[in-house]
Amino acid sequence: MDLYEIRGGRLDVIAEEGELSRESTTMETYNVAAGSGARTARDVSTFQRFSIGTNESLRFEPCEASTPSPTGAEDGCGDDDDDDDVFKEEDTESEINSIRNRLQGKVVEMENFAGHLEEIFLTVEENFGRQEQHLEQHYNDVLQTLSQRYDERGAALEEEKKSKLEALYKQLLACGRALDSSKELIESAQEVYRSQDKRLFLKTVMPTVKRIEEYAKEDPDLTLATRLEFNTPLADLSDVKTMMDSINVVPAPSAPVINPQMPNSATQTSLRVCWSLFSDDTVEYYELYYRPVLEDTPADSTCAPHESKVKVKETHCTVTDLLPNAQYELWVTATNTTGISPASEKALYMTVPSPPVIKQRECTSCPEAALIRWDSGNTNPVDSYTVELSETETDGTESSITESIVAVPSCQCLIQLQAGRRYLISVRAVNIGGPSDRSEVITVSTTGTFFHLLEDTAHPCLSISEDGFTIFYGDEELPISAMALDDNTFFTRCVAVLGDLIPVRGRHYWEVEVDDGTEFRIGIAYEDTERNAYLGANSSSWCMRHILSPTRHKYEFLHNGWSPDLRITVNPVRIGVALDYNRGTLSFFNVNLEQHLHTFQCNFQSHVQPCFSLDNPGALTVHNGIEAPEYAFM
Amino acid sequence: MALTQVSSNKCAGGFQKVFEHESTELKCKMKFAVFLPPKAETDKCPVMYWLSGLTCTEQNFITKAGSQLAAAEHGIIIVAPDTSPRGCNIEGEDENWDFGTGAGFYVNATQDPWKTNYRMYAYVTEELPKLINANFPTDPDRMSVSGHSMGGHGALICALKNPGKYKAVSAFAPICNPMQCPWGQKAFAGYLGSDRSTWEAYDATVLAASYSGPQLNILIDQGQDDQFLSASQLLPDNLIAVCSEKKIPVVFRLQPGYDHSYFFMYSFMNDHIKHHAKYLNA
Repeated sequence: MDLYEIRGGRLDVIAEEGELSRESTTMETYNVAAGSGARTARDVSTFQRFSIGTNESLRFEPCEASTPSPTGAEDGCGDDDDDDDVFKEEDTESEINSIRNRLQGKVVEMENFAGHLEEIFLTVEENFGRQEQHLEQHYNDVLQTLSQRYDERGAALEEEKKSKLEALYKQLLACGRALDSSKELIESAQEVYRSQDKRLFLKTVMPTVKRIEEYAKEDPDLTLATRLEFNTPLADLSDVKTMMDSINVVPAPSAPVINPQMPNSATQTSLRVCWSLFSDDTVEYYELYYRPVLEDTPADSTCAPHESKVKVKETHCTVTDLLPNAQYELWVTATNTTGISPASEKALYMTVPSPPVIKQRECTSCPEAALIRWDSGNTNPVDSYTVELSETETDGTESSITESIVAVPSCQCLIQLQAGRRYLISVRAVNIGGPSDRSEVITVSTTGTFFHLLEDTAHPCLSISEDGFTIFYGDEELPISAMALDDNTFFTRCVAVLGDLIPVRGRHYWEVEVDDGTEFRIGIAYEDTERNAYLGANSSSWCMRHILSPTRHKYEFLHNGWSPDLRITVNPVRIGVALDYNRGTLSFFNVNLEQHLHTFQCNFQSHVQPCFSLDNPGALTVHNGIEAPEYAFM
Repeated sequence: MALTQVSSNKCAGGFQKVFEHESTELKCKMKFAVFLPPKAETDKCPVMYWLSGLTCTEQNFITKAGSQLAAAEHGIIIVAPDTSPRGCNIEGEDENWDFGTGAGFYVNATQDPWKTNYRMYAYVTEELPKLINANFPTDPDRMSVSGHSMGGHGALICALKNPGKYKAVSAFAPICNPMQCPWGQKAFAGYLGSDRSTWEAYDATVLAASYSGPQLNILIDQGQDDQFLSASQLLPDNLIAVCSEKKIPVVFRLQPGYDHSYFFMYSFMNDHIKHHAKYLNA
């Protein structure tokens, strides 16, 4: 059976690689098979994919529907007797159904196979056509060259003939003249001989005899002016020979096509590069070139980035030993016995960034949220960051459920969380190449409010313990150099330090542990509170103050320099501080007695920071991450 | 014991009621005010006993102090008895505003003619709680006491003399050291006789010095412009000194501009009820 006839005499369109279309539910594309068919025809490393989207292909008659209808009425294979026997209907019906299904399956198989074959035919035809074309062209070239040669040679021979004839003709003419002159001589001699005049005869006979003698002495040149043979130099047909040879030779490949970077194919130090051939070339191997793209192109060309080369046989390669978060320019050439292809277009790939580094001391949390800050981990900028968090189960293991926050533009993220849980949080840096590895994980507990002290705000005489939660005021002299600075970062009079409270307007609670003899001020202040003022002396801070006089302990609750008059009979050594943004209250408690000391009514214009100061040499310790007692926010 | 309702007004979502009964301790008819918060309709509530000051009846507190909203919010029953027995026809009972009628001083009198009727200490600490617990949806284990001026004195001594009975105590401008002030000296001399040693049992400052029992957290508000403070009738410093030494937790607040009146009490009543609620609802 002729494929042409079946297909109604037309060749279908051959789709390019990557285009798959399904028009019929019973027909599928068979990439591998077609490819292998092509491969056997020629040694190529890519193959074309086909789709048979035609209704005119091989097809068997019955069973239009892919699922059998329950009654089998529309079915050409249906059994009319089914309707009669109601009781046997079930069995026969199912039997018929199963048989029908099998048959259908077989039909589909055969149809697929037929389609398969069609594809192979097509490939062969196509390859043949191309070969033919190729050959025709080559031979045309050869013929052209030969006829050119023939013309040249013919012309040369022509020339030669002409010149020989000319030479001979000249010779002939010369001979003719010589003949004429000798004839004349003879005639004149005869005339002399015949002359009656003896005197004239005697006068002229001697010169004439002399002339004849001379003439007789002359040897006539009887050699031919030219050779009779023609020059037949050897024809130089070497280039024709090469042309003939090259018909059997495979052409050099054309430039490959390098693919753009696939997402998630890069790592910090490697890139996976893929390319494909432009056409059905024979290729022995590829050479992949790459060099880093530098931010600033130096004017001096001798500092051009180093170009590296990798030789591979496949159409992909993983380049390693690269820098993270760096852009690379890559191009590839294909080589076979004939030569090297031109270079492909240059593609830009980017390695994935290095993972960020979470700044543990700058992360803060409260029951509803956490603020995570990190260092980029890369010298060059990245596109964005992804924050990942998972809750730990009650037994401490990491839960499988992870939440991701993507497209974080800067090196910090405020995440909403639920109270009373523990979370594991990590960050990845993201660029065009994909996401980096996970940073080190930080554990955040949403029990209570947690913060570190802002060491940059500490008065020079204030020192902070290693764990960052105890502050000391030694007896040292204040370095004068510190006082000279006037920038509003650290406290210069009040020996104080601020805390890094998470900027969430909810409820926050922390405790401060002091000594009976510690003179302190503890409370809250706006972030921009005057650094050359005492806590509580202005409108930007509120604090509880303990003053030790020779006779007694005095407690003040200062704001704007004013305090209510309070007496406390038991000196608190552990003070609970409860801040409620919504109610606008700041309360102080004696934690050990669960005793309420005082509540400020405030109107917080912006976020506040906890503040701690020591008015005389001593120490105090901040405790946080504590769940607020019930009475704290009554 | 039969209770007769004298009045009932819906207030702050609950009911402000006044009852009358025959007191066995005081041997006369006594009225008292009760505020029932909305919560009392469904649950048992704790009780705060409020003791009023000189010349007051059960009415002053419920009409002027502004306690009902806070009591309703925290679900606390407030009981406010009268300040002395009435209509006992004791000679001289009405001669002074700071002794006799309206000035019971929350003691059990030992001297004639007062000893039969003037047993306000027993009334407030024994009879009244029994009566309240029998007639209202109360939690008998959760009681607290507060008061003003003479009632402040009463609250302090009730708490100090009954360790563990009252879960919280607070006072407005209390008479802290009656033995050392004119008011106290006049009253104790009349009710308890000339033996000052018998006065000690009713003096908060003295009682604090020898207090031993569960921790008390005392809240005291005092108007700075209180004429009686400057008249040395109240003497809070004495109490504070003793409590400091004995480590009895006290927070004493001197409120500038405030006087001795109900306007002062009204201003800080919420803080006090919140203070009581912390312990009553714990």
